[in-house]
Amino acid sequence: MYTFGDPTVTQHLQGDMKAIHHRAALLLGLVVAAIALLGAPATAAAQGSGTIRGTVVEAQTRRPLPGAQVTVVGTQRSVPTNEQGAFLLVGLPAGEHRIAVQLIGYGADEQTVTVTAGETANVEFELRTDAIGLEAVVVTALGQTAQQRAIGTAQQTVSGTDIAQAQRENFVTALQGRVAGLEVNTTSGVPGAGAAIMIRGVSSISGSNQPLMIIDGLPVDNSTTHTGVFASTTTFENRGVAFTNRGADFNPEDIESITVLKGAEAAALYGIDAANGAIVITTKRGRAGGGLEYSNSFRVELPGRTPELQKVYGPSSEGSSTYLFWGTPYPEGTTFFNNVDGFFETAFTQKHNIAFSGASDDNRINYRIAASSVQQSGVVPNTNYDRINVTASSQADATSWLRTDASIQYATDDNNQPYNGIDGAFLGLLAWPDTINARDWLTPAGLRRRITSLSAAAEQDNPYFSVNRNRNNSKTTRTNVNVGLTFLPVSWGNIQTRVGVDNYTTERELVRHPESGIPGGANTNGTLDRVNEVARSINVQTLVNFHRYNLTDDIGVSAMVGNQISDRKSTVAALAGSDFLDPNFVSINNTNLRSSKTTIAQRRLVSAFGQLQFDYKNYLYLTATGRNDWTSTIPPGSNSFFYPSLSASFVFSDAFPSVGEFMTGKLRAAWAEVGKDAPPYAYRQALEFKPTSYGGYGYGFTGPNPNLKPEFATSYEIGAELGFFDNRLGLDATYYRKETRDQIVTGIRSSYATGFILLNVNGASTRNEGVELTLRGTPILRSNFAWDVQANFTRARGKVLALPAVLPEYYSSDTWLYGNVRNGTAPGLSTMSLTGLFYERNKNGDILIDPASGLPIRTTSFVDAGFDRQPDFLIGLSNHFEYKRFSLDVLLDIRKGGDIFNATEHYLTARGLSKRTLDRDQPRVIKGVLRDGLENTDNPTPNTIVVIPSVNTSYYLSMSEENFIEKDINWLRLKDVTLTYRLPQGIFGSRHASVYVTGTELFLLTNYSGLDPLTSATSAASGGSGGIGMDYGNFPVPIGINFGFRVGF
Amino acid sequence: MVRLRVLVLAAFVMLGTACENFLDVNDNPNAPETVTANLYLPPMLHWVVMAPQWDGRFIGRYTEQWVIPHTTGSPNIWSRMGYDRSSDNGAQQWRDVYWTLGQNLIDLMTKAEAEERWDILGVGYILKAWGWLALTTLHGEIIIQQAFDVTRFEFDYDTQEFAYQEVIRLLDEAIANLQRTDGRVDATYLAVGDKIYNGDREKWLKVAYGLKAMALNHFSNKPNYDPAQIIALVDQSLSSNADDPLFTYPGNDPGNQDRNFWGRTRGNIHTYRQTQFVVELMDGTQFGAEDPRMSRMLAPAPDGQFRGVDPDVGWGALSTEERPNNFHGYPESGGLGQPGRYLFDDNSKIPLITYSQLQFIKAEAALRMGNEPLAREAYLEGISSHIDFVNARNAETGNPSVTQISEAEKAAFLASPDINPPTLTLSHIMSQKYIAQWAWGHNELWMDMRRYHYTDMDPVSGTQVFRGFTIPTNLDTDNNGKPVQRLRPRYNSEYVWNRAGLDKIGGLAPDYHTKPLWITEP
Repeated sequence: MYTFGDPTVTQHLQGDMKAIHHRAALLLGLVVAAIALLGAPATAAAQGSGTIRGTVVEAQTRRPLPGAQVTVVGTQRSVPTNEQGAFLLVGLPAGEHRIAVQLIGYGADEQTVTVTAGETANVEFELRTDAIGLEAVVVTALGQTAQQRAIGTAQQTVSGTDIAQAQRENFVTALQGRVAGLEVNTTSGVPGAGAAIMIRGVSSISGSNQPLMIIDGLPVDNSTTHTGVFASTTTFENRGVAFTNRGADFNPEDIESITVLKGAEAAALYGIDAANGAIVITTKRGRAGGGLEYSNSFRVELPGRTPELQKVYGPSSEGSSTYLFWGTPYPEGTTFFNNVDGFFETAFTQKHNIAFSGASDDNRINYRIAASSVQQSGVVPNTNYDRINVTASSQADATSWLRTDASIQYATDDNNQPYNGIDGAFLGLLAWPDTINARDWLTPAGLRRRITSLSAAAEQDNPYFSVNRNRNNSKTTRTNVNVGLTFLPVSWGNIQTRVGVDNYTTERELVRHPESGIPGGANTNGTLDRVNEVARSINVQTLVNFHRYNLTDDIGVSAMVGNQISDRKSTVAALAGSDFLDPNFVSINNTNLRSSKTTIAQRRLVSAFGQLQFDYKNYLYLTATGRNDWTSTIPPGSNSFFYPSLSASFVFSDAFPSVGEFMTGKLRAAWAEVGKDAPPYAYRQALEFKPTSYGGYGYGFTGPNPNLKPEFATSYEIGAELGFFDNRLGLDATYYRKETRDQIVTGIRSSYATGFILLNVNGASTRNEGVELTLRGTPILRSNFAWDVQANFTRARGKVLALPAVLPEYYSSDTWLYGNVRNGTAPGLSTMSLTGLFYERNKNGDILIDPASGLPIRTTSFVDAGFDRQPDFLIGLSNHFEYKRFSLDVLLDIRKGGDIFNATEHYLTARGLSKRTLDRDQPRVIKGVLRDGLENTDNPTPNTIVVIPSVNTSYYLSMSEENFIEKDINWLRLKDVTLTYRLPQGIFGSRHASVYVTGTELFLLTNYSGLDPLTSATSAASGGSGGIGMDYGNFPVPIGINFGFRVGF
Repeated sequence: MVRLRVLVLAAFVMLGTACENFLDVNDNPNAPETVTANLYLPPMLHWVVMAPQWDGRFIGRYTEQWVIPHTTGSPNIWSRMGYDRSSDNGAQQWRDVYWTLGQNLIDLMTKAEAEERWDILGVGYILKAWGWLALTTLHGEIIIQQAFDVTRFEFDYDTQEFAYQEVIRLLDEAIANLQRTDGRVDATYLAVGDKIYNGDREKWLKVAYGLKAMALNHFSNKPNYDPAQIIALVDQSLSSNADDPLFTYPGNDPGNQDRNFWGRTRGNIHTYRQTQFVVELMDGTQFGAEDPRMSRMLAPAPDGQFRGVDPDVGWGALSTEERPNNFHGYPESGGLGQPGRYLFDDNSKIPLITYSQLQFIKAEAALRMGNEPLAREAYLEGISSHIDFVNARNAETGNPSVTQISEAEKAAFLASPDINPPTLTLSHIMSQKYIAQWAWGHNELWMDMRRYHYTDMDPVSGTQVFRGFTIPTNLDTDNNGKPVQRLRPRYNSEYVWNRAGLDKIGGLAPDYHTKPLWITEP
């Protein structure tokens, strides 16, 4: 039995493979020689025409490969293989033809086939894939393809199958762990919750760190609604609502593959919007023999961990929003209701996907139409996410010189979410006394049941009341149309033009019920926010490709030039109404006081770019790109900026055949510069209507900055791709470093003496560096058992080098959401640090104690205390097993280090609900020194003041949040596990059929004391590091088990 | 192939469309870049009246106008003459002078000057002067010369002496401009933004004289104090209550931002209670005669008696029945849906300055220059006009349970020898001025108390100028035993983002708030 790493076996295997390879080469050589010797007759016989019938299979498994592109070299004839991996080329003139086959992810193959008039030549192509994949064809920027060996930058591909198999409604969350350098942060575990992708960490401290999202060659919108567009005065500040990222509209089942261009180096051709990399998505196209595909999924979801609260001490008094639990112990025999566990429901999701695809007999036209429906309910009552996707795509050879490609994606979704954070159901659930049944949330009169004597506007909402009355509904309808034309005018190249329109409308309706305790509830007799957001983005892109040209026998050159015009506009009409007439009728028409607001943002961008690539002896490649962007968001004069990139790839194992005997290897290095613009209208002054008496105008918080200029990032990366054991083990390693200078910091505070409260200024600089490793291997490969493993290692560190001028700190006010901790950062600190009013300490680091109370003293300004939410590293470990008709996929997500702020626990502790308050009667002396004037001498006075927390509850109330920032949090989570069984061929008349079961988030091992350390207290609309790693009143991700089958006819 | 070539050509034409017109989409469709001068006015006038009330919640505790009573523990930090750490409390006027006025006022004045609208330019000068006067009154040293430079990140503070010079200069400019009738002076145009005087230039001119009198009167501890000039200015200023710049709150905003800060809808004052000090100024303890305004300004306890809360003691031994109601007139924090009293109602108008206040300034100046008859005349006019002011405010509330002070009551009170004594002293004038400014005139009221160092004795009678006022015993630890003298500059403006500037004036010291103002020193 072959086992991975056994040297003798490996050598043996290597020997076998090499022998095969040599034999094949010899055979091919003989064929070529024979043809050469025979010479002219082949062409001379070109009287009639013949046919080539062929199949394309995967070399190792002999599995047929659908979707491979078969091209007659030197002509425009090109057909894809059908679902059985077969193709047919008819009407070929008799004679010799060079036939090339390529498929994304596989090495290309070429054969010379002799066609005899009136006959059919049968031929088989074998495409190889291996752990290093140097020969594989991969997607690169601008929808181009290239051989992996030629690429000098870091990129990684995930197959659509892997994405779909993960069974996530939002495909973005399925990327976690599958790509080195990529991290996905989710806002919450409720249906439709948004997710943010971050590649190579946080480099922008105030702006977006998300990559550009590309579908079929053109950018699409993956934004998240900013709550600043709402018209009500009780704003959400991008927290409390886990709005969906718009990328979630796309159906994972439509995705053929996702290529992640990790840095500015790889994404240089995408320019300004791709400073943080790019997610390049290719959608599925039809192919001959596609037929009907149907798949479904039925999922049951259960809550993951639920919090445990102390059930010893009862309520003592009423705090500002609910009871404080500092009372006497509950008497024996007290009835407790299982409020927390009883709240969650078993959720059910069903998905149905159906697709027809095919091609005309001559393969000149192919099509694919697909529809998909998702109906998801959440474990939190009254939450759901329903989506319907309809897509159609078609490619056609309109004439011999014009190829068309068109796709339309339509999506409509409807999402009900609970509120998060302080105004949400989760904290309401925890704060509700266990001695009172939370399910009784209405009085007999049908009003909100109140349990304290606090005012209606102060008392924390019952969780059932919250999810039933405070609704957060979003409905989105989206159409994405993408039309491409390829002109094949001359032998030296072609011209491609693409036009895309991405258009969506989102309607949001957020209700704060008139009886609710949250701001905008009882205090204004209800608030209804309605937002209609219409976004459209138009992109036109033209590329002129110059085919490779041989300068000498050894040196070739290819080139591309192009331009792009993009126009992105969103118009938000917001209505707000308060003072409800009928408390339960949800309509603006039912409100007494109404206000409205429009927010329009438009950005236009014109770009020209080009690429030049030299290759030398097929082992050394040098690529240079240049791009110039003209943006509307920077003042004219400085709004045009050019940035180059250079990359090199060196396949040293080919250059030095003696090395190639033992390994396959490629070294790469890349350097790039990329600019970034500002948000629309940031440099111009703007007056806003004031809601104070008699209206009128005045400046907003943010001052104009006519001197705003683009920010620039310079980055380089070096990497190696190495293959061992006949490429059954592959290693892809990258080190990168990026410095962003003149970073545009939006919304940084300054002295009010500027005349403003916030400024948009250039001047921050950050440095990011990190290591990405991908290890792929096939430890076992036998006819009925195979095991593939892939490990993705990520280490990304970001550091702030400077802030504008002398400003001491930058923070996003969105993140100042609990107590006195926020995502503040300063020069020398991590881009994901936290600042707070922490404990005052003396020069030795001892906590200073107030001699009057025996309690610690807090700082009066926001200070750094060494907190960093950046993990030390992340590992995504995926395993794929094949045994006979079974296959098993397992993805583990591992994280080491990084701090998490457990604000929920602080909230519970301050109210006496946390189990950590059970020792409240224990007298104690807080370790520290008295602030008696001697604290900074060599002999400070040690604190000896005894505190009994149950008597002096300030002990808990005044506890610094730093005690709740949990350091070095690690986790191991089973993201997905899928077991698939392929039914015997032909069952029920099907072409193929399989059944599967997929478990998601089945277990989580962590040293985090809260529920789930993967959390963000703000939505993805919050810039910089946002509220990542801040856990406050968020519902965690539930455990899911999916069943379903997949069948093709 | 011809078709093809056309297509190729078309593709290249598209390459060249990087034209500037295409990129010119920067006119912000959500907000204008500039508006007419009069449209800048409403938010400024709103905040000029409103912001002192915001800060009044805190200054009112320094000056013992009110208190948030405590049951256990120690009094609220502001009642201990301390301040909230790392908080912007007590710095609303800082925000509004630099931001609400700030660049808006510069734009307004630039436009007004260019368009020869001298009336609106004059109002601009008043607002500018008011801003520096308010800020230096509260904070002492402030940023003036380097202010509004958006490219600067560090700002130096100017001395208080400079601030006062600037206030006087700006008011002289205001007076000069408001006297002009040439150019495009137009009451209708000004009235678009001016809902205080509806564009009446002459009334604004009176406000300018009044503010100048007020600012010059702050120099009472300085050798160049000029009472005659102050009296002359008061005489050119507001001539009766009818001239009072009163702000009427429209109450149209769903977010209630255009409602009276003290009104029941805003709900900002219902946890506060009157102090023993202010009750004793009116219940006869200090003056002998019971003030008819007491039952119209202050709130009785449920048992009908008027009592105040000692900041040091809090609720102390007071039973529920004995605890004074809130200022709306209800126990606990109730009454938010009911009509309020005096200034504490949605419909109550709030003044910027008052005729009554200026009469007390005149009285003080006259007494200081030895003209007792003139001082007495102004003093009695000050009380009398404030009684009318109280009646007018209570009438606005529409609260049937608060009666008007009758002419007879008023006459009897003014005739009482307790109030109109044979020898008029500063103690009479300043304590009565305190009553007339109670609950709204926070900046000037606190300046008065600091000019007399809280507990200065009247040189004639030997009684305290502010009768019965005591500095709290339980001072904040950072005070080092000293009473508060100034508000610290706004935390989230200065203590985080301009520490270098603060450091130069000693503003980083923990007891900076106890450092006496230049103006109150000899």
